[in-house]
Amino acid sequence: MVRKLALALALAVCLLPAAGCWNAREVNDLAIITEAGIDLTEDGRIELSVKIYLTSPIGDSGSGGQMSNQPNGDKGTSVIRTVTGINMADAASRLQKMVSRRIFWGQTEVFLFGERLARADLEAPMDFLMRHVASRERSHVFICDGTARDVLLLDPPIDRSVADALIAMAERQTGLNITMKELAQMMVGKAKAAVLPIVQINTHKEKQEAYPFIEGLAVIKEGRMIARMNEQATRGVMWLRNEMKQATVTVTPDDSGGFVSLHLMRSHTRLIPSIENGRWIMTVRITGQDDIVENTSNLDLSEPAHLGKVEREMERFVEERVNLALNAAQKEFNADIFGFAEAFWRKYPKQWKANAGRWDEIFPKVEVRLETDLRIARPGLIGKNFFRRQKQR
Amino acid sequence: MKLSRDLLENVRRLRAVYRDCADVVFHSFRIGGHTQAMLVYVEGLILLEELDRNVVAPLRDGPGPKPALEDVRNRTAVASVRSVGTFDGLVEEIADGRPVLIVDGLDAALAFGLTDWEQRTVEEPTAESVLRGPREGFIESLRTNIAMLRRKIRSPKLKIVTLRLGSSSKTPIAVAYLEGTASPSLVREVMSRLNRIEIRDVLETAYIEEWIEDNRYSPFPQLLSTERPDVACAYLMEGRVVILVEGTPTVLIAPITFFSLLQTPEDYYERYVVGTAIRWLRYFFFVISLLGPSLYVAVVTYHQEMIPTTLMLTMARSREQIPFTALMEAFLMETMFEALREAGARLPKQIGSAVSIVGALVIGQAAISAGIVSAPMVMVVAITGIASFMAPRYTIGIPIRLLRFPIMFLAGMMGLLGVMLGVIALLTHLLNLRSFGVPYMSPLAPIEKRGLKDVLWRAPRWMLNRRT
Repeated sequence: MVRKLALALALAVCLLPAAGCWNAREVNDLAIITEAGIDLTEDGRIELSVKIYLTSPIGDSGSGGQMSNQPNGDKGTSVIRTVTGINMADAASRLQKMVSRRIFWGQTEVFLFGERLARADLEAPMDFLMRHVASRERSHVFICDGTARDVLLLDPPIDRSVADALIAMAERQTGLNITMKELAQMMVGKAKAAVLPIVQINTHKEKQEAYPFIEGLAVIKEGRMIARMNEQATRGVMWLRNEMKQATVTVTPDDSGGFVSLHLMRSHTRLIPSIENGRWIMTVRITGQDDIVENTSNLDLSEPAHLGKVEREMERFVEERVNLALNAAQKEFNADIFGFAEAFWRKYPKQWKANAGRWDEIFPKVEVRLETDLRIARPGLIGKNFFRRQKQR
Repeated sequence: MKLSRDLLENVRRLRAVYRDCADVVFHSFRIGGHTQAMLVYVEGLILLEELDRNVVAPLRDGPGPKPALEDVRNRTAVASVRSVGTFDGLVEEIADGRPVLIVDGLDAALAFGLTDWEQRTVEEPTAESVLRGPREGFIESLRTNIAMLRRKIRSPKLKIVTLRLGSSSKTPIAVAYLEGTASPSLVREVMSRLNRIEIRDVLETAYIEEWIEDNRYSPFPQLLSTERPDVACAYLMEGRVVILVEGTPTVLIAPITFFSLLQTPEDYYERYVVGTAIRWLRYFFFVISLLGPSLYVAVVTYHQEMIPTTLMLTMARSREQIPFTALMEAFLMETMFEALREAGARLPKQIGSAVSIVGALVIGQAAISAGIVSAPMVMVVAITGIASFMAPRYTIGIPIRLLRFPIMFLAGMMGLLGVMLGVIALLTHLLNLRSFGVPYMSPLAPIEKRGLKDVLWRAPRWMLNRRT
């Protein structure tokens, strides 16, 4: 019994090296890509730029080759490699030739697409990225105003890298926050339309270093970018997509002689589809709660009547923006970037099936009914702006 | 062999048995100045003064001729007197430290219970100290140990059965159980297993532990050893059997489950909320102590995408200059740590601190700054070390320390898959184990609702005692 067991164990141990180790990768042998940019060259080739994190402390120019455990000044610890290829896979394999270590895609947090590439074709690179075993579905995706390489080359002063800066901005929900998985879902979803935030570069001015920021969005339909939306319309899209989490809105109530600024605490947008007599109707119910952060008007915000007035004004303001986005999407681009198609499909699967091929005809005619209900939850510690009253005396 | 009526004949035979035994004393005197008598005892095992005052003096000064056995017994002032008729019995009584009186003309001898030898005082067991609770521990004397049990359980239902084991050592062994609580079949099983032992000497309970275990090849202990009378009594109350051995302060408890190895008496002495929290902390670190380095090796060599990016970059940085693979590094550091620990355990306390200083410098600071091992690895080893110190019983700590290495190897070969394989193999073994017929992993497997309240949490006492 013991002898048999020992024999079995010995055999199992002998098998181990046969089975294992071949896919072992030591951290020291990896070229860790933290962000990747994909552009289209003039002659239609894919240009892949990657930022590789330098793990070697010797390469650290700041510490002068001294061995140190402190990450003293993580600046300048990355290198950028750019290769071109006929498609993503080709470019990626060429990239491997340029790098002494094994390319590791598992930590790539940000993918940037150049605008030219996005306008030409997003489907091919997306196939590569979703098919690749190591790449993260949770990585963030942006469209660049210009080329992705230019954004990669930036060295924003606050964060460790461009990737960190962009992720932080996206997650703060001041702009759209789209991950690879969400993008893929939108692109292959019922509407075949997607949105991506646009990264712009604030150029170098005097002492100010150039830095990236997120503004506006790109509308993607059937695998390519078809249009851009400005910041106002982007806010409207975010309201409709239930992605509005942080906003400060300034309104001017009638005959108040000033502004009231509100800070959004929480909001929720519900899409309620209905089909009445062959008319496709979408009821958009936006609810939210706000804090008042500044009041320069002559309204006394401790009075419910005045609060109601501000609330109405606020609702009007939001509706305006939402209508801006709706108009652009429905009339101008005919791209269902709000997920209306999914909502209809869920509630009316049969009707959807019958009309699946006609969505492009239906979408511009969908009647949208806005129901906004925004409340002021906390008017703040003071009601009136009493500084203002003193001034009047 | 029966004793002879002839004193000289008996003495001649006894002297032959105790040839070259300088510590055995033959003291002859006359009862009432007339009848020849002989006292035989081992020096150092008896109360010599009591013997003089209560046995020798009254007999010497009393009437002399032809005393009957009963007569002699009544004239001595000793509470514990036994008459011995056989020669083997005589030898046994002498060995156990009872002086024996052989009187001329009588075919029976008297053994006086005047045993007393040097023994350690009752102290707090160092391996199982508590902050709250009794601080007494068992000592090397079986008599004292049994007395400690009896002092805690004063019911006549506490039964103590004695037997002797060891063909040379003839070590007295006691089996204690609570009648009506312990199942009779369990007691029978324990007795029959004990009686089957063929052994020359029993110096420690470990000698018999290996004989009576269910699975002799398992690295896991299937009996619980403790030095604490309160622990022994708690288990007695739960219907378990306690085996005590003369000459060692550790006693054995059977049957046990895996989870009883992860409990401490203090779980029950502290408030139940605290007891539960600490128990879970212990469970968590138990897993860490088994899998800590393996998980690290697996993730670092196979699953780099699992690590959050910032952490990954920092780790990549610190691993950059390391000449070894993560697996090698882990083996190196873990072996070093075990060596350090073993070295520290065997050294006198004064030198022990020197070892820890050297160890901290060598495997900690110097190794990192020399770029031989990476800082995260040292952290993992240190955390694993702390975790393994949390094992409340040394006997469960050892197998875990050992099994860490094969699982580490599997992790280095196959990543998390290997770790899972190792864990599955280990669980299969644990689920197969039994301790005196009780499944090792009960009450978790097979699941038993009643027992869970003392495993998943330490239920308050009023719920704990309710047997529903």
